[in-house]
Amino acid sequence: MALDSLDRTPPPFFRVGFAPLTKLIFFSALSLLLVFSDKQLQFTKPLRAGLSTLILPVQWLVLQPGEALSAVGAYFQNLDQAQKNLKAAELKVLQQSVRSQQVEQLQIENQNLRQLMGLHSNLAVASQTAEVLFDVPDPYNQRIVIDRGQLKNVELGSPVIDAGGVVGQVTRVYLLTSEVTLLTDRAQSIPVLNSRTGARSITSGDVLAGLPMIELKFVPASADVEVGDLLTTSGIDGVYPPGLQVARISQIERRVDISFARIHASPLAELKGRHVLILQPSTASNANKGNPP
Amino acid sequence: MIMSRREALLLPVSPWFIGMSLFISLVINMLLGLSQALWLPDFLAVCIFFWGIHQPRRVGMATAFILGLWIDVLYSALLGQHALSYVVLSYFAFSMHRRLLWFPIKEQMLQILPFFILSELISLLIRLGTGDDFPGWPVLLRPFIETLLWPLANLILLAPQRRAHDPDANRPI
Repeated sequence: MALDSLDRTPPPFFRVGFAPLTKLIFFSALSLLLVFSDKQLQFTKPLRAGLSTLILPVQWLVLQPGEALSAVGAYFQNLDQAQKNLKAAELKVLQQSVRSQQVEQLQIENQNLRQLMGLHSNLAVASQTAEVLFDVPDPYNQRIVIDRGQLKNVELGSPVIDAGGVVGQVTRVYLLTSEVTLLTDRAQSIPVLNSRTGARSITSGDVLAGLPMIELKFVPASADVEVGDLLTTSGIDGVYPPGLQVARISQIERRVDISFARIHASPLAELKGRHVLILQPSTASNANKGNPP
Repeated sequence: MIMSRREALLLPVSPWFIGMSLFISLVINMLLGLSQALWLPDFLAVCIFFWGIHQPRRVGMATAFILGLWIDVLYSALLGQHALSYVVLSYFAFSMHRRLLWFPIKEQMLQILPFFILSELISLLIRLGTGDDFPGWPVLLRPFIETLLWPLANLILLAPQRRAHDPDANRPI
């Protein structure tokens, strides 16, 4: 039997490396430096991108069982259900086609009116579809990961929408994937327009009774806001094109002791769907053109 | 007598097995992360602590730091958050690795629980300190579940070392 086959060999007393406390202090300091720089500075970006690219094959592999399961599930989905879905979709297309024809006509009309008044016209925005891969596991923020990245020319700051409305904004771009911060994240804001009154305000994410919501900020307690008002993007930020649906006001709390009303709105983005649309961010130059009159 | 609790002598550990176990727990963490449940335990933390106790010369603070960084990137958390909590965990594993194994497994669990709580608190405090909201009470369940995983880790991670060295019909061990 080999001599080294026993586990309890006496430890080599030489070359034991640094003292554990030294190592603890060194690595703790390094971690804290990283925490600080990740929060405040920009130089951790390449480190993060590099590490995420390294783990990409594993990540892809981990996602496969889920994909396969959902594919199998979709295959065995009832034919009846499929037909029902098809019928519903056809109905929806029919309804929308009426609307879209009107929109076409309205657009021409709008363009003519804008030309008459000497205003710039709204531009159609370039977009690409993406698939939602998963929610970011970090419980402290609300983000999703989509399957389009640097290689597909996703730009940092691009607005992301789905069938319901605005989902959020691309906040991190990796090689093959990117991260979208949802509007319900507390660090995410979007300028909105109350479509009933035309009042402009700004939102931020908030959690209300465990549900991710959108909070309307700095609205005076006396402002004309009602439950059910539709909020759309105002377009003055130069990022989101104007007129996209954002949220519907669901709760208003007016109190005498604070001069601002606490207004909560539920996001219209369906978030549960698999597909989203990434829009090109309107640059500073055509942000002016995009302004509503 | 306390000595009698010790098990049979173990075979030497294979570095490949350590690496594989760390990698597999990383993958398990990735899978669990997809479910968004707050109480799900951190398998990698248990694994790092386990090897820190059993093989302190192979899995130390440097390994813990690098694995923590990977988890930070994977979870898209603050860079350094998990790294710090794993490094601290690994330090305490090192500081008690000579003592812990003399105790029966239940008493071991009692002794390691504070360190899992500490590592969770570090993670939590960093996030609260940088201006995030408290994610929810189930987070505080995690250290307890991680401690409950300790016997399981003992069973699985030591299994290759408990194999017979060269088994034989007449000499099973």
